[in-house]
Amino acid sequence: MKTTPKSACETCAHHSLENVKKLGVDITNVDFVIALAGNPNTGKSTVFNALTGLRQHTGNWPGKTVTRAEGAFEYQQKKFKLIDLPGTYSLMSRSEDEEVARNFILFGKPNVTIIVVDASRLERNLNLTLQILEITSNAVLCLNLMDEAQKNNIQIDTRSLSKELGIPVVATSARSKEGIPELIATISDVALGKIICKPHKIKNIPPQLEQAIKKLSTAIQNQYPTVSNSRWLAFRVLEGDTHIIEALKTGDFS
Amino acid sequence: MKELEEFDKIIALSNELRWQIGDDFHDDLTEAIYADAAKIVKKTVVQNSQKGTLGIDAKIDNIVTSKIWGFPLMLFLLGFVLWLTIIGANYPSAMLSSLLLDIVHPFLKESTAAIGFPWWLSGFLVDGVYLAVAWVIAVMLPPMAIFFPLFTLLEDFGYLPRVAFNMDSLFKKSGAHGKQALTMSMGFGCNAAGVVATRIIDSPRERLIAIITNNFSLCNGRWPTQILLATIFIGAVVPESYSSIASLAAVVGIAVLGIFFMFFFSWALSKTVLKGEVSTFNLELPPYRTPVFWKTIYTSLIDRTLIVLWRAIVFAAPAGAVIWLICNITLGDESIAAYLVHSMDGFGFILGLNGVILLAYIVAIPANEIVIPTILMLTVMVTGISAGSGSGVMFELDSVSATADILKAGGWTLLTAINVMLFSLLHNPCSTTIYTIYQETKSLKWTVVASILPVIAGFIVTFLVAQIWRIIF
Amino acid sequence: MNSYNPIIYLSVFFVLVVLLVLVFNTRNGVYFTYLKTKNATKKTAVEDILKLLYHNDRFTEADIIEQLEYSHGLIESCLLKMLSKQLIAKESHFVQLTDEGEEYALRIIRAHRLWEKYLSEKTGFHKKEWHDRAEQKEHELSDEELDQLAKLLGNPKFDPHGDPIPTKSGKIVQKKGTDLSRLPVHSIGKIIHIEDEPAAIYKEILAQKIHLHSQIKVIESNEQIVVFEAEGVVFKLTPVVAKNITVQELDPENILDVNNSRLSNLKINETATIIGISKESRGENRRRLLDLGFVKGAEVRINLVNPLNDPTAFLIKGTSIALRKDQSEKILITKNIGNENNT
Repeated sequence: MKTTPKSACETCAHHSLENVKKLGVDITNVDFVIALAGNPNTGKSTVFNALTGLRQHTGNWPGKTVTRAEGAFEYQQKKFKLIDLPGTYSLMSRSEDEEVARNFILFGKPNVTIIVVDASRLERNLNLTLQILEITSNAVLCLNLMDEAQKNNIQIDTRSLSKELGIPVVATSARSKEGIPELIATISDVALGKIICKPHKIKNIPPQLEQAIKKLSTAIQNQYPTVSNSRWLAFRVLEGDTHIIEALKTGDFS
Repeated sequence: MKELEEFDKIIALSNELRWQIGDDFHDDLTEAIYADAAKIVKKTVVQNSQKGTLGIDAKIDNIVTSKIWGFPLMLFLLGFVLWLTIIGANYPSAMLSSLLLDIVHPFLKESTAAIGFPWWLSGFLVDGVYLAVAWVIAVMLPPMAIFFPLFTLLEDFGYLPRVAFNMDSLFKKSGAHGKQALTMSMGFGCNAAGVVATRIIDSPRERLIAIITNNFSLCNGRWPTQILLATIFIGAVVPESYSSIASLAAVVGIAVLGIFFMFFFSWALSKTVLKGEVSTFNLELPPYRTPVFWKTIYTSLIDRTLIVLWRAIVFAAPAGAVIWLICNITLGDESIAAYLVHSMDGFGFILGLNGVILLAYIVAIPANEIVIPTILMLTVMVTGISAGSGSGVMFELDSVSATADILKAGGWTLLTAINVMLFSLLHNPCSTTIYTIYQETKSLKWTVVASILPVIAGFIVTFLVAQIWRIIF
Repeated sequence: MNSYNPIIYLSVFFVLVVLLVLVFNTRNGVYFTYLKTKNATKKTAVEDILKLLYHNDRFTEADIIEQLEYSHGLIESCLLKMLSKQLIAKESHFVQLTDEGEEYALRIIRAHRLWEKYLSEKTGFHKKEWHDRAEQKEHELSDEELDQLAKLLGNPKFDPHGDPIPTKSGKIVQKKGTDLSRLPVHSIGKIIHIEDEPAAIYKEILAQKIHLHSQIKVIESNEQIVVFEAEGVVFKLTPVVAKNITVQELDPENILDVNNSRLSNLKINETATIIGISKESRGENRRRLLDLGFVKGAEVRINLVNPLNDPTAFLIKGTSIALRKDQSEKILITKNIGNENNT
């Protein structure tokens, strides 16, 4: 049963790590846990390999990583554990891989979530990005495959993109390791709280829905004061997501 | 308890709200998200022109999905990969087997004898466990080390999604997904790897179909059996100048028959037990990317070949032990193996097979690679002719004609050979594959279905062939 | 093996096969007939009578016997029981539902429609199976299970055929419309309901791929034939079939662009804007399409045609996504005119 929360410490490392431990991640000797999310076929696994030096197979084929892969890297004496989540188009359907990814971000509360997107297909990738930003505040957008985007004559203003999304944006070409050092530095800054994110919240919802969502999210917020993503929970409860409803019942969001 | 009350209030509120907002919530929400996305993109992205690499992609796409070139190209590439695998694996396989079987095996025998192991312990460990493991490595490693990297290169380039695209309407007719063309092809390499590869199919019903029917792809472990039997028996019934063509046609025919069964069972499953499973379709055609050659080779070896090989070894070791034990433990005046062979002879005869073959398929569940050695060993044991190196010790002969002599001494006819070829295609998956199916489906029910279905098909087909054959000839 | 004769073995085998087919044939096999009769208890008969009376006002006992497949005796004993339980009342020779009976009937209808909704959203069963499966299930669901089901589905208002689902308290949304055969020529309407009984007519509607919620324009309507256009496709129906489709005439302000069409009608080199996804695309399939970016306002064009003609790859939001024909015909578009030089 849920008891009154001991502390509202959302960003402190220890608090967060307890959650991922429950999900079966070994956290011995780890300072921060980082999740790697993104659409299929955005070079997510290549980013994973570039960050960790591991050689996970990366196929040119959507949906390669179905199970969770783990790796680690060190930066300025801090140890980061990196979890590669399955590539998904969304977090709102009910396929197995989406649940794995969703549950990890929602219940695991990683210190930072890296969202890998394909720079040439930004609009489509933002669907997942905006959903993730409803769940977690600490995120970094990894604008990957910049080399391909340049070949396609696509130019992206990363500064205004960062402003729009309210999170840091790093342009990379993971295959040639371009931008990876910057990505690591940014991850570390977010994890240490040097960069505070103010993520974009979904705006264009029809007024009638927005009202319903607000009512419900206020009710959830009142009952679970420590929850930071009551709006997302309201989305899910309104859609009848049994998993989330069950979690609310058992108070898994403390 | 107060929390629960509050929780109930939230749920009641949500139910009320859901009734108010209607059935289109998900649609509206997704549209809102995309509207936001479009706005953000408008502010931050400048696209100068549509050209660039897209042009090259379009050209490749027009060739690989064209009416004229699409299908020949696919067949050629699959055929080429298989040919390279079978031919290319011969040499390293021979080297490995002469190293592991002809050099290391006697050496181990001698050393265990020198240390003073009793005969049964060294027999159990060296003739049983070691030999099975060595056999699996020698026969399995080379083809997989060739097949998987080639396949992975095609995959990384981005060609495989186009194959799925081309083939989809054929598979759709049998209730399956176009991507099953790929998992099926992967099954020609190894069924366990094929089953793992079904992860790319993100529709529950079609994925189960692909998993259950993957075993109808004739895997690497079974190609040698087919080739051996076709050479000995099928090649012999036609004039010598045609014999190699006839045996090749027989092997290809068996593989094609497997594809036919795959389609048939896909259709049957989708119309019966699986019709209630959720079925969706989507297929993304990613841009072509030049694969990083050596990295692809390396990762495919690590990710696919070694994992599958390791699983096979884990299962082969106890099987080797069992084979040795049933041949060396006697009940009354017979070994268990001989007893089992005799008790299954009657049933085997009805299927146009014999007790030796059935027992070999039972004990060789871990790996199809050891079926022929086991058959040879059991035949020698039952008939009492002098060949091989003792009871419970699997062997294979370099000379095809010597192998033929042993099989014929064991009572084999052309019918037996044809039915073994059929049964080799249509029997339960190897234990590695069964285990993988369980890992992937997490369901005992589907694992059992996938294991039993092909055996039943095998029994029926061999039975029918045997009866009709005997009526005609 | 002396007595071995392959012909005998073969014969035994075929006899076995024939026996198995006879027993397990899904249509009229022994096993399924047995299951059916086992389930045909008094309770199901009572509930079926209630449903029948709910939909038909002035029914006599003879009408009931004619309409339902139960035996004469069973129906009579059911009616007696229902009378004594005050579910029905007799007025001269007409049988009518009491308030209590109506409440019970609504519960069964709720169960039926919720289960159809469940089948359409959460399973892969084909449309044509929904009705029969719901006919079975409606008698089996308990009140508690019904509540669970409604929650799971998000308290839906309509079943997949467009029929309103009664709420737990018996509220039911009223819909008004006329049958398609009565809609005057040139008028524009929207299909709000497709009746799934009788099965033969429903099958014909399914075969023509007429979609719920599509906007239609009547071209010709007389005693012989009803011709109408919907989503860029022209349909021809006999009036008997057209009677099973309910439409609502649209006010001018609710009329969509008349040029709307199905994505499957898009030609190579044409571009189009998506209006939405048809209500006929449901459950996981619908969510997938939305996630992939097939949303209102998105631009779409054909990227690749298949050597076997299906599926087709569409370029949507910068990505090439292949869809099968039965998916693309459930996505509605308006073609962009004057944009065809974009090869």
